[in-house]
Amino acid sequence: MIGYFARRLAAIVPVAIGVATLTFLIIHIVPGDPVTAMLGESAAPADIVGMRHRLGLDRPILVQYGAFLKGLAEGDLGQSIVYRRPVSRIIAERYPATLELAAAGMLVALVVALPLGFIAGSRPGGAGDIASMGFAIAGISIPHIYLGPLLMILFSLDLRWLPLTGRGGLAHLLLPAITLGTALAAILARMLRQSLVAVRESDYIRTAVSKGLTARAALIRHGLRNSLTSVVTLVGLQIGGLLSGALITEVIFSWPGIGRLLISAIGLRDYPLVEGCVLAFAMTYVVVNLLTDVVYGLIDPRVRYA
Amino acid sequence: MSGAARSVSLALGGSLVAILVLAAIAGPLIVRADPNAIDLANSLAAPSAGHPFGCDQLGRDVLARVLWGARLSLFVAIVVVIASAAIGTLIGVSAGLASERIDNLIMRGVDIVLAFPGILLAIALAAILGPGIRDLVIALVAMGWTGYARIVRGEVLTLREREYVVAARTLGARPPRLVLRHLLPGVAGPLAVQATFGIGGIIGAEAALSFLGLGVMPPTPSWGNMLDAGRAFLLVAPHLTTAPGLAIGISILGFNLMGDGIAQLIGIRN
Amino acid sequence: MKLQKVTTNLLRAAGALRIAAVCVAFIACGTPRAIPPGTIQVDLEDTPTSTDPRFSTSAASSRVNELIFSSLVRPAGSGAFVGQLAESFERRGDTQIVFHLRHGVRFSDGKELTAGDVKYTFDSILDPKLNSPKRGALQHLKSIDAPDLYTIVMTTDRPYAPAAELGSQAIVPAATPPPAISEQIAPPGAGPFRMVSFSRDESVVLERNPYFPAAPNSPQKIVFKIVPDPTVRALELIEGVCDLSENNIQPEVLPSLATKPQLSIIKSAGTGYRYIAFNFRHDPRLRDLRVRRAIAYSIDRRAIVNSMMRGTARIASGLLAPENWAYSADVSTYPYDPAKARELLEQAGYPVLKNGMRNLRLVFKTTPEQLRLATALQAMLKDVGIELDIRSNEFATFYDDTLRGNFDLVSMYWVGVNDPNHYYMIFDSKMTPPRGYNRGYYSNPEMDRLLESAQITFDFDDRRKLYARVQQIAADDLPYVSLWWQDNVVVLNRSLQGFVPYPNGSLKSLATVTLTSPAGAEQAN
Repeated sequence: MIGYFARRLAAIVPVAIGVATLTFLIIHIVPGDPVTAMLGESAAPADIVGMRHRLGLDRPILVQYGAFLKGLAEGDLGQSIVYRRPVSRIIAERYPATLELAAAGMLVALVVALPLGFIAGSRPGGAGDIASMGFAIAGISIPHIYLGPLLMILFSLDLRWLPLTGRGGLAHLLLPAITLGTALAAILARMLRQSLVAVRESDYIRTAVSKGLTARAALIRHGLRNSLTSVVTLVGLQIGGLLSGALITEVIFSWPGIGRLLISAIGLRDYPLVEGCVLAFAMTYVVVNLLTDVVYGLIDPRVRYA
Repeated sequence: MSGAARSVSLALGGSLVAILVLAAIAGPLIVRADPNAIDLANSLAAPSAGHPFGCDQLGRDVLARVLWGARLSLFVAIVVVIASAAIGTLIGVSAGLASERIDNLIMRGVDIVLAFPGILLAIALAAILGPGIRDLVIALVAMGWTGYARIVRGEVLTLREREYVVAARTLGARPPRLVLRHLLPGVAGPLAVQATFGIGGIIGAEAALSFLGLGVMPPTPSWGNMLDAGRAFLLVAPHLTTAPGLAIGISILGFNLMGDGIAQLIGIRN
Repeated sequence: MKLQKVTTNLLRAAGALRIAAVCVAFIACGTPRAIPPGTIQVDLEDTPTSTDPRFSTSAASSRVNELIFSSLVRPAGSGAFVGQLAESFERRGDTQIVFHLRHGVRFSDGKELTAGDVKYTFDSILDPKLNSPKRGALQHLKSIDAPDLYTIVMTTDRPYAPAAELGSQAIVPAATPPPAISEQIAPPGAGPFRMVSFSRDESVVLERNPYFPAAPNSPQKIVFKIVPDPTVRALELIEGVCDLSENNIQPEVLPSLATKPQLSIIKSAGTGYRYIAFNFRHDPRLRDLRVRRAIAYSIDRRAIVNSMMRGTARIASGLLAPENWAYSADVSTYPYDPAKARELLEQAGYPVLKNGMRNLRLVFKTTPEQLRLATALQAMLKDVGIELDIRSNEFATFYDDTLRGNFDLVSMYWVGVNDPNHYYMIFDSKMTPPRGYNRGYYSNPEMDRLLESAQITFDFDDRRKLYARVQQIAADDLPYVSLWWQDNVVVLNRSLQGFVPYPNGSLKSLATVTLTSPAGAEQAN
């Protein structure tokens, strides 16, 4: 098992290089460049040329790529063109906000999805099933861009319970976390239901029921563990979606994380900063997936890490 | 669950989807209002007999736009799901049947795409190809195939150790034949579920891209860009988003029920 | 039995809900908004970029910088310049302008502002090593001298009538290094406020400059918060967390905000100018004046202003608003007339085809923010048979396209136009990118001659006559189709009294508004 995780950890390296290369390629193909984006229209042509030279943007693209890879190998993400500070420092300042939001969104999703999915799956076709199915459909039908303002109007304007925007205590976190977590909650609830329905009809639950356990107790004792493994797999798969959602949620809630940072860095063509943000997103994805594998192993000890 | 309930979800889901497709095809013929004709005097007009779902910010009939938008949104969603599932299945099967080294290589590739923020790709494609439907479909497929690939690969890895597949192999069946005869029917269930869920995700992604200014270009209506445009008037004209919101909800409900039905039908057969 | 179970479940659920509600209420009460009296919050849609006025060019930066820094001269409503740090200024010959500084003006660190600071500010912008984006705007400034503590002499490289505008640069203390990082707080200025914190994409906080006289009950602290989403900005005003918002609320939402008892709306004429520019370079179709005129006639500006903009603009006849000293009303205008547009298109050789359209498909580049305007224009042009192919990209791509001339039509916005010499930057044939803003490659020898002679004409009336002719040619030739001058719309909490909008959208009145009750007190309970 330790060997398995060592290999998985080692596999992070090619993924990081792949993501970084893809990003480098894309950001350099897209029209626009950081110097015009930054200097604006009143700059003298000589200053544009001078700055481009100073930033090394006048070198051949392969040379720039080589320099970038070399920096990456040394753990140096370079200087942000716009902020004129090390990219790693800026990411370090902003990353906790994104992690907080994503973790809270995930928590909301799990807290909502597990009971709903269980209620639905333990008696398919019942009122609980229909209600949670309704929630799942509604949850997945309302995109973040719409749910965010809707929640703001309800909880901040009408009820005056929660602050509108910004980052602060738990109160500031609730609305963005619900906005972010709802779609995932819907997906997870549906998946859990699906898998419980399948388990319900399996032989061992039938056997357990025939031995006198109530259906629900049998499900909890035998079925839930089985179903949770599929939920955990799905969580891993959905991390990418959650992070994209975080990006939009950060814009709506003026949340100072790396999602907004990435959008503004793309707008300013701040190449090193875009690289840094994308790598931060990608590494989050990879590490969370690794963690879901660990959790998978804990829930289902039969899993062999081959 | 009884067999009747199974056919109920399939029938209900199927008929909802059929109604939507019918609305997309026939709706614009029945509601004759031009979805793109602006009438600035009617900007944000409330629902009325003439405009049952009201008018948008440019005075265009919301009902007509939802019906026309159905064509685009359903088309994009279905094309993207089919293309993603096809590409994902191909890659997933290849990975699942290939040697461990190639499998590893493919899966790292999948990881790279999964770990990559789609927004950057969408912006790049919009800048290079020009914004519009083509860019939208390519961006969504480029980000969407990975889920299918992972599911299919996982199923193939499990299935290929099953007795009947091992037996078939020892009897000399060649891999492509194996895939067609034994593996694909096995993965069809999980694929169908992923695909029907995927449709909801695609409509949501289309709205998010509209939010970032990268969706379908005007005047073409889509549910995603209607929802995004209406969002700005949540305070003064919530009716703008009622119709596209309902349309999205119904389509997701329909496709999900259908997915359930399909999954269970396949479950019985196995 | 079964019923009992359901009831228990329901009760259990209700209990859980109540606990949740208590939790939420606890969280909400646990963090009361601690707003010290005298603090106001202003929402901006964009982050300021650089806080050093020698390097910042964005609109959001100037909104903030105007409250921190002073310049030799400031624009009056008429577009002419009046003294600010300069008590008076006068020309000396054709190439020199002399500014006499006020005595006793202090930076927020207590040091007196003298000619040395002014000279230092300009010298550092002109220093090629610092790559200031403002160097281009000072291209005619040859040298700047400080013969004594309170006198500044600027020398231009040739006779230059608009020289007073050179004095509009905000002044920083001598020896201020260029910012090492972009989130560095602004250097001390001689304006009413000083910056105490800056966090890009998040907020900028200003406090009173202790050396600048403050009116009683005026704000002690201004928090500029960056809120990118327009709906959220409106919500913040209603909720009361934001006290003031300018020109960044959607017009359709204004009537609803007007009904809120705590909010008031001030609408005043603005000089921001929206236009459509044509590209003359690649495409012979747009070089045909009849096509440009047809487009001008096919746009129903009145309808757009009245409905989409809810009346928050004035139909424009040209770049200069009526308030400008050089404005001339004696120009061709293009009232909505689709019949005339069709006639012009027929004459130009674009007959109506079977599908009801003409063989005239034009690419209109825009940004997501302007998509609705683009859609309205598209529908209006379609009405006369022109197909507008809208392509919206995020700003950096859009900007790159406009600089490269990669468009047929583009709609943009000029804000803060003061001296009519701006016409030189946009319509002189030598001012194509990257030298100037003539992005459509418009070229008319008579226009060039007028614009260049206006630069060396010092007599006020002669200059005015030259620009009157410039405005006529611009309206006849249509390198731009004028749309409207946008009003300045300020939505503010009623606790703020005496806010006076500036035509160019400056927020300088924030220094002088009075707070009747501590802003934000209402929701602190």
